[in-house]
Amino acid sequence: MIIHGKWYPPESSAQSVATLSITGDDYSLEIENQRLRAGRLEDISVSDRVGNIERKLVLSDGSVFATDNNDDIDKTFGDRNIIASIIHTVESHTGWVVTALVFTLLFSFSFFKWGVPWVGTTIAHALPQKTNELIATHTLDFLDKSMFKESELSVERQAAISNHFQSTVLPLESLQQDIPFKLHFRKWQVGKESVSNALALPSGDIILTDAFVELSKNQTEIDSVLLHEMGHVVKRHGLEMVIESMLVTTAVVLVVGDASGITDLGAGLGALLVSANYSQSNETESDIYALDLMLKANMDPIAFANILSRMMEREAPSGDSEVVDESKEADSNDENKDDNDKSLLDYLSSHPATAERIARAQRYSQCFRQQQTDCSMSER
Amino acid sequence: MRPLEFEGSGAEYFKIWIVNVLLLICTMGLYYPWAKVRKQRYLYANSTFDGRNFEYHATGKQLFFGYLIAMTCFIIFLILQNISPLSGSIVLLLFFLATPWIIWRSLQFSTRMTSFSNVRLAFNGSLGPAYLNFLLLPFVLLLIVYVIPASAAVTLTMMDDISAAMIGGVVAVLALVVSILGIYFYAYLRKRNTSYVINGYRYGQGVFSVDLETKQYLKIILKTFGLAILSMIVVFAILAAVGSAVGVEDEFSAMQESMQESAKESIEDPDAAPPGPPPISGSFAILIGLVYFFIILVSLIVSAYSLTRQRTYSFANAKLDQNVSFVSTLKARSLAFVMATNFFAIVLTLGLATPWATVRVLRLMLNNTLIDTDVDIDRYISQQQSEQSSLGEQIGDAFDVDIGIGL
Repeated sequence: MIIHGKWYPPESSAQSVATLSITGDDYSLEIENQRLRAGRLEDISVSDRVGNIERKLVLSDGSVFATDNNDDIDKTFGDRNIIASIIHTVESHTGWVVTALVFTLLFSFSFFKWGVPWVGTTIAHALPQKTNELIATHTLDFLDKSMFKESELSVERQAAISNHFQSTVLPLESLQQDIPFKLHFRKWQVGKESVSNALALPSGDIILTDAFVELSKNQTEIDSVLLHEMGHVVKRHGLEMVIESMLVTTAVVLVVGDASGITDLGAGLGALLVSANYSQSNETESDIYALDLMLKANMDPIAFANILSRMMEREAPSGDSEVVDESKEADSNDENKDDNDKSLLDYLSSHPATAERIARAQRYSQCFRQQQTDCSMSER
Repeated sequence: MRPLEFEGSGAEYFKIWIVNVLLLICTMGLYYPWAKVRKQRYLYANSTFDGRNFEYHATGKQLFFGYLIAMTCFIIFLILQNISPLSGSIVLLLFFLATPWIIWRSLQFSTRMTSFSNVRLAFNGSLGPAYLNFLLLPFVLLLIVYVIPASAAVTLTMMDDISAAMIGGVVAVLALVVSILGIYFYAYLRKRNTSYVINGYRYGQGVFSVDLETKQYLKIILKTFGLAILSMIVVFAILAAVGSAVGVEDEFSAMQESMQESAKESIEDPDAAPPGPPPISGSFAILIGLVYFFIILVSLIVSAYSLTRQRTYSFANAKLDQNVSFVSTLKARSLAFVMATNFFAIVLTLGLATPWATVRVLRLMLNNTLIDTDVDIDRYISQQQSEQSSLGEQIGDAFDVDIGIGL
C-alpha cells in the first residue's frame, strides 16, 4: 500500500512531499523516489484519530510523516488505541451522535429538574442548623444598609405582633427550639412606592415591611405569611439555593467554561433561569407547609388567599395603586387574563402564578370548612 | 500577505463536542482533560497557513493532575464564598497574589504544547516581570484611582478653616488629575502587558518582538471611552422615547419580558425569600428589560472595538526574527456581530450552538490574521525545553483567568 503525505526531519519545520510504502510489516519512506527511511511498522507511533485532521506518524529517528489519508492509516495500523478508536467511531456515525445528543439532553433536563434539587435538599438537611445561620450572618446588616429604613409602625403595634408570634405562631412548629426565630419590622421603599413584603433569612430572622403590616386586615393574615416564611427556614431553602447554585455553576463551567467570555454571559443567564425555577418550587413547598399548619391550628387558610390577592392587586401596574380599591372588579379580571398570557413568564418567575397559589389556599379553606385537618389529598 | 485559514466545520466539531459532553456526564467531569485534548487537537490541526497546520500536543494524562487540583481549589472557593464571605475574600486575595504565576505558567504550558509545521512554540518571559506587569503595576493603578481621592477627602475633612468654594476647586482639580493619571497609567499598563507577552513568544529558534508606544494605547482607550459615551447617549435617547411610548402602550415582546424577569431576579437578594414578586410597575419593568438588553449590546460593541483596535496595533508592530511581519484585518463590527449572534444562538439553543459559536469566532480570528508569504518557514528548529506541569494552566482554566491582550 502507498500512502501520500508530507515528511519533516526531527524537530524541523522543513517540509517535503513524501510517500510511505507498506509491504507486510515493513515500511519504507520515499522522497522523489529516493528511499530515505525504512523499518518495521511496530516502531512507528501513530497519533489518535480526531475528525479528519492530519495523522502524525513519528518514525524511530524522531522524524514525522503527516498524512490526511486517515482510512489507509487505520487499515494499516489497526486499533492501536482501543478507546480512542471507539470514541472516533461514535463521533463519526450519525446514529451514535444523535443518541449522544438525546442522552445528553435527557440527562441535562433530569439533572437540572430533579438531580440538583435532590442533592440540594439532601445536603442542606444533612448539614447542622449552624450552617444555615452561618450563610445569613451579615445578611440583615447588609439589607439594613442597602434597602431598609427603620420601621415607622408604633412600638405597641410591633410588640403586639411579636408577642402574638412568640405565644401563638411559634409553638405550631415543633422544631422551633433549634431555630432562633426573630421578628423584625422595617420600612422598604423603591422609588416613591413602599414595598409590601415579608422575607425570611436562613438564620431565622423574619422581616415584615411596614406596607405589609398596613395591608393586612387581621392577625390570621399576618400569621399565615409568618408561617410561610417559617417554612422557608425550616425547609432550609436558603442553604438549598446556595448548594444548588454551586452545582449549576460547576456543571456549566465544565461544559461551556472554556469557550469565549460571551458564552459565559449566556451560561449565566441560563443558570439564573434554572435557579429561578428552583425557588419557584420552594415557594410552593413553603405554602403547603404554612397551609398544613394552619389547618392543624384551626386557622382558616382563606386568610392566606386574601392577603395574597391583596398583595397582587397592590402590585397591579395601574399607576395609581396607592390605596387598594376593593371595587376594582374589571381590573382584577384583566389580571387573570394577564396571568394566562404570561405562562412562560410564570415559569421564569421565582414565584408560581399568584393565582395558582390563591387557588391552593382556597382549596385548603374548603378542607377547613369541612373540618378536615389534612388537605394534602388535593395536591397531586 | 496571506491569511490563516480554518479547514474544519461546525458540524464535524459538533460531533466531537457532543461526545465530549456525553463522556463528561458519564464520568462526572473526570473526563475533562481528555475532552480538552480532543477539542484542541481538532481546532489546532484545522488551523492552517501555507499548507502547514498547528498541532496540540498535551495528553489527557498530562492535564489530569493539574485539573484535579484546580477543580478542588475551585470547589473549595465556591463553598467558602457561600458560607463565609470573609474567608472567601482571603482566598480571593491569595488567588490574586498567584495570578501572575498562573498567567506565566499558562503561557509556558500552552505555547510548549503547540507546534506549527512540526516546530514547537515557546514562551520565554520570566516570572519577575510577570509579577510587575500583572500585579504590582495594576496595584499602583488602584492606588491612583482609589487611594489618592480617599486620602484627599480625609485631609479635607480634617481641615477646619476652609471655604466651600475652595473644597469645590480642590475636588475638581483632583478629579481631573486622577482621571488623566489613571487613563495614562492604564494605557501604559496595556502597553507593558502586551509587550511582555509578545516579546516572550518563540517559534523554534525564532524570536517574536514588538515595539509599542503608550501614546497609541492612550488614543485607543480615549476613542473607546468616546464610543462608550456616545452609545450611552444613543441608548438613553432610545430609552426615553420608549419610556414615553409605553406610557400609552403596554404590549411588549416576550423576549424583553423574559429579560425583564431576569433583571428583576438579579436584584433580589438570594438569601431572601419574599412571598410575592417585588412591586415593579409594567412600564418600569419594560424599561429595566430594555436597559439589560442594551447593556449587553453596548458592552459587546465597545469591547469588540477596544479589542480589534489593540489587536491591529500590536500585530502591525510585531515581528518574527525582524523579518516576518503580521497584519490584523479584524473589524470591530464583524467581531461584534459574530459575538452578538453567537450569544443569542447559544441562549436560544440552550448551549447546543456552542461548537458552532467556537468555530465561527476561531475562523473570524484566523481569516483576519495575515502573515508574510515570502517567509522561509522551512528553516525553523524546535528548541530544547524542560517539561512543565499543567497545574498553572489548569487553575487558569478553572478560574477563567484572562490574559486579556487580545491575540
